Amino acid sequence: MPKDESILRVLTAVPICDGHDSAINTINLEFIRNGIEVIYLGYHRSVRDIVRAAVQEDVRAVGISSYNGGHNEFFSQVARELHKEVGGEITVFGGGGGTITHDDERIMRRAGVDKIFFAGTPLEAIVRYVKQLRAPARGSRKRTAADSRGGKRSDRALSMALRNAKSVKVATRASAPTIGITGPGGAGKTTLIDELVLRFLQRHPTSRIAILSHDPSIASHGALLGDRATMIHSQDDRVFMRSLATRGRAGGLSPQTEPMLAAMKQMGFDLIILETVGTGQEAMPFAGGLVDTSLFVMSPEYGSKLQLQKIAMLDIADLVVVNKGDLAGAPRAAAEVTERLTMNHKNQKVYTTQAKQHRNVGVDRLYDTVLGSIRQGEPPRLQVTRKTRTSAK
Amino acid sequence: MGFLADIAQAVEKYNHGVEQQVKQVRGDAELGKQILAKWRQARAAVKTTRTPTGLELPRVALPNIDEPGEIARYLGEEGLPGEFPYLSSAYREMYLERDHHEGNGNSKAEEPMRLFAGLGLAEDTNKRFHYLTKHQKSVRLSTAFDGPTLYGLDSDDDGLLGKVGEGGVAIDTVDDMKRLYDGFDITADTSSVSMTINGPAPTILAMYVAAAKHRFGDGCVPKLRGTIQADVLKEVQAQNECLFGVEPSLRFLGDMVEYVTEKMPRFYPVSISGYHIAEAGSTPVQQAAYTLSNGFVYVDLWKHRGMNVDKFGPRLSFFFDSGLDIEYMALARVSRKIWAIGMRDCFAAGPKAQLFKLHTQTSGRSLIAAEFKNNLTRTAVELMLAYLNATNSCHSNSADEPFTTPGEEYVTLAAHAQNIILEESGLFKHMMNPLAGSPGMKAVERAVEAAILAEFREIDRLGGVLSAVEQRYQRAQIQQAAHRLETQIYDGTRPIIGLNRYASTNGHAEMDLVRTARQKQLFQVKRLKAWKKKHGKLAGRKLDELSGVVDKGGNVFAKLIDCVEHCSLGQITHRLREVVGPFRPVV
Ligand code: B12
Ligand SMILES: Nc1nc2c(ncn2[C@@H]2O[C@H](COP(=O)(O)OP(=O)(O)OP(=O)(O)O)[C@@H](O)[C@H]2O)c(=O)[nH]1
Ligand SMILES: [Mg+2]
Repeated sequence: MPKDESILRVLTAVPICDGHDSAINTINLEFIRNGIEVIYLGYHRSVRDIVRAAVQEDVRAVGISSYNGGHNEFFSQVARELHKEVGGEITVFGGGGGTITHDDERIMRRAGVDKIFFAGTPLEAIVRYVKQLRAPARGSRKRTAADSRGGKRSDRALSMALRNAKSVKVATRASAPTIGITGPGGAGKTTLIDELVLRFLQRHPTSRIAILSHDPSIASHGALLGDRATMIHSQDDRVFMRSLATRGRAGGLSPQTEPMLAAMKQMGFDLIILETVGTGQEAMPFAGGLVDTSLFVMSPEYGSKLQLQKIAMLDIADLVVVNKGDLAGAPRAAAEVTERLTMNHKNQKVYTTQAKQHRNVGVDRLYDTVLGSIRQGEPPRLQVTRKTRTSAK
Repeated sequence: MGFLADIAQAVEKYNHGVEQQVKQVRGDAELGKQILAKWRQARAAVKTTRTPTGLELPRVALPNIDEPGEIARYLGEEGLPGEFPYLSSAYREMYLERDHHEGNGNSKAEEPMRLFAGLGLAEDTNKRFHYLTKHQKSVRLSTAFDGPTLYGLDSDDDGLLGKVGEGGVAIDTVDDMKRLYDGFDITADTSSVSMTINGPAPTILAMYVAAAKHRFGDGCVPKLRGTIQADVLKEVQAQNECLFGVEPSLRFLGDMVEYVTEKMPRFYPVSISGYHIAEAGSTPVQQAAYTLSNGFVYVDLWKHRGMNVDKFGPRLSFFFDSGLDIEYMALARVSRKIWAIGMRDCFAAGPKAQLFKLHTQTSGRSLIAAEFKNNLTRTAVELMLAYLNATNSCHSNSADEPFTTPGEEYVTLAAHAQNIILEESGLFKHMMNPLAGSPGMKAVERAVEAAILAEFREIDRLGGVLSAVEQRYQRAQIQQAAHRLETQIYDGTRPIIGLNRYASTNGHAEMDLVRTARQKQLFQVKRLKAWKKKHGKLAGRKLDELSGVVDKGGNVFAKLIDCVEHCSLGQITHRLREVVGPFRPVV
C-alpha cells in the first residue's frame, strides 16, 4: 500500500439533465486500476451537489463529463463556486467528446477550468494528467471567505480539520451520538441510511448530520466510492459526508476511520452515521466503543438457519434489521433471527424494513426506535445504545 | 426456474423439433410428398419482377432445394418472409417496390425512413419537421427532447440555463406541444409521430393527446398514430432517465399502456429499446439479450395485471442499434425468432402478438470526431446491415453526430443515404432475402442465438430481470464491455480509421454548431412563467386530484390528460415524486 498522503482522491460526475455516463464509467475504471480513489457522484447532478461533495470529500480534483450541451455555463459555474470555497486548491477538468470545441475550452479556462480532454484522447493520457496532480500538502492551506458561515464551521473548515486528524485525540467536548451500521454486502445499508437521513432532516430542520461511509479498495489500491450517487437525500447542505476506502485494512473499516471519527465527534454534529463495507460472518467492526448504537442490517437471503449461528454481529448488535421485507423469505427470516437473538438474552431488537420503498413504515418504526419520537426542535438523542440496552437488562 | 429459462428452453426445443421434422419427412414418404407439395405451392406463389436492365427476378428469393428434409429445415429455421418464426422478416414484401402491374408506378406504401429531430424551442423543431418532410409522401415525425424535458423538469427550474433546447426540443406545457406539430395533420392515415421520451412519457403523451384534442376535437384520439418510447427498464440499465422508483415507474407505464390499448388503437405505447444499451457500450449480444428479456418482463407484468396478450402484444415494438460488429448481420433476425417463439410458446400469444416489429438506428457511438467525413461511410455500412435484417423503419445518423445536433447539410446527406440504398441501389427494392441463408449469415445466426440464450439463463439464475437489475448485473456487464471497447480502441486492437489507423495530421474540424441562444432559452422561461401564472389557480387542485388517483390505485394516465391542461411537466413530476418517491440511482 502506498502512504496515505500519496493517494490521490478525485471526484467525478455528469451534469444536471445529462445521463451520458459511459465515458465517465470507463474513465473511473481506468482511474481505480491506476491507484486513484474516485468518489463518483453519478449522473444528472447539480453544480451545488458537485461543489459540496468536492469540498466535503477533500478531493484534489473534480472531473466532469458533459454531453447534453450547456457545458460552458456548467463547467464555469463549478470552477467559480469551487474557487469561492477553496481558492483554487481543487482542479477542475473534464471532457464531452466532440460536443466541446476548442473555443469552448478557451471560455472555460477563463473561468478557471484547468483542462478539457477532446474526443479521441487515449485513456492513458487522462490518467497521466491526473497522476501529475500531486496530493495537497498537509496542513498548508489558504483561508477563504467561505471558511465560516453564520457561526457554523464551513464544510471547508471541517475538511481541513479532518485532513489534520492523524491520531485519536482525547475528547474535549461532548461527543456527537454515533450510529454504526454494518452487515453483508448488498443488504441495503446505504439505502437504509439515506432513508434515515431523510427522516432526520425532515424532523430536525436545523440539525446537522455527518456520514462516514466505507467502500472497498481494489487490489491495485484504487477505489470506486459510489455511495453518494445512491444517497440522494444525503446530498444536502446539512449533511457532511466523507467516503473512505479500506486501503488494505480487513474487517470493514479504513486505516483512517478511528482518527476521522474521533475528530468528527468533536465537530458539533447532532448525529453521526458510520457505514462499514459489506462484511463477512465473523466481522465485528465496532470494537472498543467506536459507536454508541450498532445496527446490523441483513437481507432475508442468508441461506440456512445454521448460517445465522455463525454471524458474530448477531451476538452483539444493539439492533438487527432484516431489510428487503418485500422478498418472499422475509417473515421467516425475521422469525429465525428473533429466535436466534432470544438465545442471547441481551434485549436486542429486530426490525423488518423495506428500505427501497418510499415512506416505508418499517423504516419509520426503526427511526423512531433509534432516534426517538422527539418533538421538533429538540436535539436528537439516541434511544437505544449499548448503555441503555445493558442497563435495561 | 423463471420464464427466461423457459423461453431459452422453448427455443432449443423448437430447434430440436425442426431437426425431428427433418428426420420425419425424410423417413416417411407420405410426409415427404406433402411438404414437397407445400413447397412447390409456395414457390409458385412468388411473383417475378423485372429490373431496369430487363433482368427477371423472383420478388421473394427462396432456396433452390427439392429434398424434403432440406425444405423442412428451411421452413422451420427461417420461414418464408412474413411467416413464423419470422427470421427473414416480419412482413412478406417489406421495402419492395410496388408491383408495376398493380398500377402504382414506382411508389412504395410508406417510407421506412424516420429522422429523429429536435432543437431549440417548439417552433424551431416544427420548422425542422417541415423541412424534413418536404419531399415525403407521408408525415413521419420523430421527436427528440432536450435534457430538462427528458428529466421531467421545467425550463425555469434552478440551474438549467444553458440546457434548455440543447440536444432536443424544450417542452414544458400543452401549449408547447401544440406549437411542436403545428401545420401537420396528425390525425391523417399517413401521419405518424414518434416521441423519444421515457421517465416522463405518460405526462408527455398526455400533453400530446390533450394538444390533439384542442386542435382536432375530442373524437381524434382513436386516430392518433405513432410511437412513444416509454421503456423504463432500459433507462435503469443504460440511458439513466428514470424519474421514480422502478415499481411506480412500471405502474405508470402500465396505466398508459392499458389506456392506449383500449382507446388509441393506432398507437404504440412502448418501444422496447436496445439502442441505448448498445450505445452505452454493450456488446451486440448483450443488447439483444437485455432488450428481449426486458420485453418479456413487460409481457409478464401486463398479463398479471389482467391485460390480454393478444390485445397489447401487437402494440409492442422494438428499437435496435446497428453497428459495425459482425453480429449486426443477424442480430435482429435472431431476435425476431426468439420473440416469436417466446410469445407463442411461453405466453400463448397469437400470430399478431408474435411479431417483433423493429425500428433501427445506426450507431452514433461508431461515429467519431477525427476525420469525421468517414462517418458517412460508417453509416452507409450500418444502414446496409439494418436493411439486411429487414428492419421496419430506420434512422440514419448524420456525419456531424459527434459534435452537435445535426445541421441541415448533414441531415440531408443522412436521409439521402437511405434513399440511395433503398431506391437507387437495386439490392433491396426488387427482391426479398438477398443474402439470407448464406453460410456466413447462418453461422452468425447460430452463434448469436446461442449467446443470447446463455444470457437469458444467467439472468434467470440471478432471479430474473428485475432482481438482476437490483444486483446491478446488466449495468456492470455493460460497463465492462464499454471499458473493453475503449481499451481496444486506444491500444489499437480495434482499428478505427482516421483515429488509430491512417490518421492524418489535419487539425480539428471547424463545424457549424446547432446551439440554442441564451435569448431563446430566456424566452422559453418567460413564456412558461406567464403560463404558470395564468393556470396557477387550478394547478394546485389538479395536482391534488392526481395525488388522490395515485394513492387510490386508479389509472394515472387518464388523470394526466386532464392535469396537463393546467399543470406543467415539472409541476407534475415534482408532485408524483412527492407521492411515490424519487428514483434512487444505482450507478
Ligand atoms: C453514447 C451516446 C448516447 C447514449 C448514452 C449511453 C450512456 N449511458 O452513456 C444514449 C443512446 C443513451 C444517448 C442518449 C442521448 N443522447 Co447521446 N450520444 C452518445 C454518443 C453517440 C457517444 C458519446 C460517448 O459516450 N462516446 C464514448 C466516449 C468514451 O468517447 P468520447 O465521447 O470521444 O469521450 C472521450 C473524451 O471526450 C474524454 N472524456 C469524455 N468525458 C470525460 C470526462 C473526464 C473527466 C475526462 C478526463 C475525459 C472525458 O474521454 C473519452 C475518451 O477519450 C454521442 C455522439 C458521439 N459520437 O460522440 C451522442 C450525443 C452526445 N448525444 C446527444 C443527445 C442529444 C442525446 C439525447 C439528449 C437524445 C435525446 N434527445 O433523447 C439523449 C440523452 C440521454 C441522457 N440521459 O442524457 C448529442 C448531444 C448534442 C449536443 N450537445 O449538442 C450527441 C452529440 C449526438 C448528436 N449529435 O445529437 N446518447
Ligand atoms: N428488494 C429490495 N431491495 C432493496 C431494498 N433495499 C435496498 N435494496 C436494493 O439492494 C441493493 C443494494 O443496496 P445498498 O443500499 O447499496 O446495499 P449495501 O448494503 O449498502 O451494499 P454494500 O455497501 O455494497 O455492501 C440495491 O439494488 C437496492 O435497491 C429492499 O427493501 N428490498
Ligand atoms: Mg453500501
